[in-house]
Amino acid sequence: MPEQLSIFELIANASALVQLVMGVLVLASLTSWVMIFQRWIYLRRVSVDVDEFEDHFWSGIDLRELYRELSSADDLSGIEGMFVSGFKEYTRLSEQSSLDTEAVMQGVQRAMRVSLNREEEKLETHLAFLATVGSTSPYIGLFGTVWGIMNSFRSLANMSQATLATVAPGISEALVATAMGLFAAIPAVIGYNRFSARVEVLMKRYETFAEEFTAILYRAAHAKR
Amino acid sequence: MIWTVRQYGLPFLMALALHAALGLWLKGVWQPSKTESDIFKPKMVASTLLVLEPKAKPTPPPRAQPKPAPAQPDAAAQAREAAARKAEAERAEAAALAEAKAREEAAARAEAARQQAQREEAERQQRLQALADSSFLNSLEDESEDLAEAASSDAEAVAQSYRFGIYQKVVANWSRPPSARNGMEARLQVELVPTGDVVAVMLIESSGSAVFDQSAEAAVRKARRFEVPQESAIFEQYFRRFTLLFKPEDLLR
Repeated sequence: MPEQLSIFELIANASALVQLVMGVLVLASLTSWVMIFQRWIYLRRVSVDVDEFEDHFWSGIDLRELYRELSSADDLSGIEGMFVSGFKEYTRLSEQSSLDTEAVMQGVQRAMRVSLNREEEKLETHLAFLATVGSTSPYIGLFGTVWGIMNSFRSLANMSQATLATVAPGISEALVATAMGLFAAIPAVIGYNRFSARVEVLMKRYETFAEEFTAILYRAAHAKR
Repeated sequence: MIWTVRQYGLPFLMALALHAALGLWLKGVWQPSKTESDIFKPKMVASTLLVLEPKAKPTPPPRAQPKPAPAQPDAAAQAREAAARKAEAERAEAAALAEAKAREEAAARAEAARQQAQREEAERQQRLQALADSSFLNSLEDESEDLAEAASSDAEAVAQSYRFGIYQKVVANWSRPPSARNGMEARLQVELVPTGDVVAVMLIESSGSAVFDQSAEAAVRKARRFEVPQESAIFEQYFRRFTLLFKPEDLLR
C-alpha cells in the first residue's frame, strides 16, 4: 500500500475529533499570534510615548502650558492621561479654599491612581489569553493524540496481521495534534512572559512618575499657602 | 469598528502570513517519502559477450620515404658554376635564381608530404571501416536485438516478479514437517481468480513424501490469497492456472 504520508493528507485522514482538536489549535495559534503582534506593536508605542513625555515633562516647561497643550489634544497616551487627570484634579481642588493641602493632595493621588489602574488594564489586555493558550494547548493537543492513538489501536484489534505499517499512519496523524499544541503553546508562553515583564517595567515607570508629579504638586500647593 | 481594524489589522495580517509561510514550508519540507513499489523487480541485465577480436591488420604498405631532393646539389653546383663563370658581377642574379629553385623544390617536397598524409589517412579509415564492419557493429546490432527481445518479454518479467512474491508467501506459510529434507520438491497446480484468491490446489508431482506434499498444499491453502498483477492479460496468461514447484532449500538438514 503506497502511503502518501504528506502532512496535509495525515490531517485530512484523521478522525473527526482529532480534526476538531487540530482546528481549535490552529485557531488558538493564529489568535495568539495576532495578540502577540498587536501587543508587541502597542507596547513599543507606549514605551516610546513614555520616553517622549518624560523628556518633555522634565525639559522645564511650565506645567500649566503643558496641561493646556495636552487637554486640547484628543488622543492621549497613558502617561499623558495620567498627568492630565492629576493636574485637572489639582486645579479644581485648589480653587476651593475650604480644603487644606492634605485633602487636595489626597484627591490628586486618587485621581492619578484611577488613571493608573485604567492604564494597567489597557496594558494587560490579551495577556490572560496568551497565558491560557500557553498553558492549555499542549493538553488539547495531547488529548487529540491520545484519542487518535486509541482509535488506531482499536482498529488494530480487528486485523489478523498486525504490522508496524498498519499502526504507523494512525499514530503519526495523532502525533500531529501534539505538535500543533506545542506549536501554539510555545510562542504564547514566550509572549506572555515577555509582555508581562514589559508591562511591569512600564507600570513601575508610571508609578515613579506619579510619585514625582505628586511631589511637584505638593511643593506647589505648600508654596501657595 | 475602525478602531478594531486599525489595532488588529496589521497584527492579523502578520499572523496570517506567518502561518501561511509555515504551511508552505511544511508542504515543501515534508515530502511524502518515496514508497518503493511492491513489485519485486528481478534485476535482470541483458548482457552479451562482446568479443573484439584484434583483426589482422592489413600491413601498411611501405611508406614512401620522402626522397632526398636531388636538385639541391645541382642548385649549389650551378650556383658555384655561375659564381665561377660570371664572377661577382652577377652574384645577385645567381642568388635570386637559387632562391627560386629552392622555393620550387620546397613546394615539391610539401606536395609529396601531403600526398603521403592523404594516403595514410585513407589507409587508416579503411582499417577502421574493416574493424567496425567485421565485429563491433555486428555485435552492437546483436545486442540491440537482444534488448528488443527483452523488452518484448517485459510481461514475462512482471510475471516472474509476482511468481517470486507468491513463492515467498507460500514459504512463509509453510510449516515444515520434521521429515522434510533438502532437495525434496513437489509440483502443485494452483488456480487463482483475478482477485488473487486461491480456488484450487492440486498435487501434480509428488516429492515422494506424503507428509511433505500435504504440507506444501496446506501452505498454499493457508496463504489463501496472493498478489497478482492487475493487468488481466498477464493474469490470464500466467496466473489463472499455473504450476508451482515447491522446493524449499533453506533447510539445514
